[in-house]
Amino acid sequence: MAVFMDLNVSFLPDRSDLRSVVETAAHLGFSTIALNYVFEPTAKKKQEIPTPTPIDELIDQLPVVQGRSRPIRVLNRLTVVMSDASHFRPNAPEYRRFDLLAVQPTSEKLFHAACMVYDIDIICVPMTEKLPFFFKRAPINGAIDRGVVFEVSYSAAIRDSTMRRYTIANAVSLMESCKGKSVILSSAAQKALELRGPYDVTNLALLFGLSDGDAKEAVSSTCRAALLHAETRRTASGIIYTTRSQQEAPQGSVDGRFKSGYLYRCYRCLCSVAIELRWNKVMMSESNTS
Amino acid sequence: MPEHAHKVFADSRGSNLYQHDVDYKTKHVSVLLPECSSAPSHLDSVLNNFSSFYLIRKLPVYELLDRHFLETAVYHGAVFGLSYRTRIDEDTCVALMPNGHLTLSLDKDSFEILGFEGKPSRFKHRTATRFVVSVDLTDSSMAPGRRSYLRLLTGLKSRLQLQTDFLLSHHPGGGASLQPLLSRCDWSQHRPEVNCSVLTDLSCPAPRSCDPHNLLMGYDIIAAVSFLSSFVCPEPNTIHRHALSVSVSGMLLPHDIHRLLQELRRYVEQPRLASWVSMTVRGFADSPVSWSNHEHGFLRGGENFYTLMMFHDHTYQLHLATGAHDVCPP
Repeated sequence: MAVFMDLNVSFLPDRSDLRSVVETAAHLGFSTIALNYVFEPTAKKKQEIPTPTPIDELIDQLPVVQGRSRPIRVLNRLTVVMSDASHFRPNAPEYRRFDLLAVQPTSEKLFHAACMVYDIDIICVPMTEKLPFFFKRAPINGAIDRGVVFEVSYSAAIRDSTMRRYTIANAVSLMESCKGKSVILSSAAQKALELRGPYDVTNLALLFGLSDGDAKEAVSSTCRAALLHAETRRTASGIIYTTRSQQEAPQGSVDGRFKSGYLYRCYRCLCSVAIELRWNKVMMSESNTS
Repeated sequence: MPEHAHKVFADSRGSNLYQHDVDYKTKHVSVLLPECSSAPSHLDSVLNNFSSFYLIRKLPVYELLDRHFLETAVYHGAVFGLSYRTRIDEDTCVALMPNGHLTLSLDKDSFEILGFEGKPSRFKHRTATRFVVSVDLTDSSMAPGRRSYLRLLTGLKSRLQLQTDFLLSHHPGGGASLQPLLSRCDWSQHRPEVNCSVLTDLSCPAPRSCDPHNLLMGYDIIAAVSFLSSFVCPEPNTIHRHALSVSVSGMLLPHDIHRLLQELRRYVEQPRLASWVSMTVRGFADSPVSWSNHEHGFLRGGENFYTLMMFHDHTYQLHLATGAHDVCPP
């Protein structure tokens, strides 16, 4: 089994609130959490995708997970609430700053597109309202084959009794279609009191129709699978990752010098391929640093 | 759901009391003496003379394969070790048994990095995410210098570099053979903690007259009495004015528990107000091995404990409980 993770903890602008949420999560036994930045584009005005603040600026020392000897790991995640197909821009450079990418579709067509086409990690199932569409097996199986996971969040059920009914109804409907595979459970907590321990979340998942083993996986192994999928997505099929660098061009370059560009490092042969984009012309220079 | 096994033995000598497969990894023993308000002196002395154990911080696991340590301690069949503050369903757990078996319970990534033979855990769901590496250090193929030994040593030293907090104990008492290992690490010695509490007006099920189903509930109550739970007692029951509950926790060795058992038998044989005593022995929830070297896991609870009730007339009843990810012993 993998370590316990909560991949949806709402980002709070207030530092002390955020700190208390992270400390509660570590105390409950979660080894990894992901701070969720929600982006809801509206037709009225152009909005910017938020930039994640580095965690060491928010919290000086990460608390140690209860019962283990390592500090909690904090990741950044972006959730795009889509009410139109144009709201999600594939390959937008702003998405690269986040460790995880999630989408919350609001119509059947968008749900289908998210399952089959979009390059994302998590599909959020709305829990605060009656589902506007029915789940169909075909797109869900397509998503499972691609490695995309479905997320059920439980903090709405803690806040309100009407939402509790919607949460259970929507979750049960999802489980019937996906048979308990590729589902993660997370809190979407907005304060420390809305977090629950991993074994309690496992018990809650039994109410949603998951079996014992599936419920435990929903908090551990499937979350790990989602993280690995995110890493693979960011590294061009797991071979090349990019880091932004400002430096002199390596020897043997065509142009001699480039002001700014992306330095690509190939995982397989460890050579660095510096690519400069200038006036829509790509000049490539290669240097073997292995 | 946890599984329970219930056996009733009637043995005049009680000599086969301890021939059940022993769980070496005992964390907690609690004794309930009804109609008693202070521990008799013999029992007290046994409880306070449990062997001490060592806690080593950040022990590199390859040190357990050290040639000198193997020759002076492991081969003599006297070392008990268990990783501390590691969770069996999240982390890597290590157990060293007195019969020379080293068991590592690893997650998938660690197992693939280690590169040693192992089997997938029997408690798997859809795919195997947990693997168990079990080696017999006393076997000739694991002698220092042999291929398997070197492979495991390289794996733990350079590939996986496993380090855990470790509880270590040695029997007979004294860590003279452990000293070379301890001197290389940050260690501290601990004694098992003994807690006594007197309970008043305790209602307990009358053990002989209950039917077996109710008796199971009764055992849960007796086993839980040391935690002062508030279960409802099944009928018929008796009210005891006083009862003494003593608990010892730490890393406890089988021979100490055996001595306690003998002492309790001597205690119950003498004529007294109450005709029974009970002893509950709990194992570590995060141990990779449980009863008779079977694998142990943690689904929603890692309970593995047994409750022994001893009666005045040399009979006893044994109640075993295991969690969902456990093999029930025969």
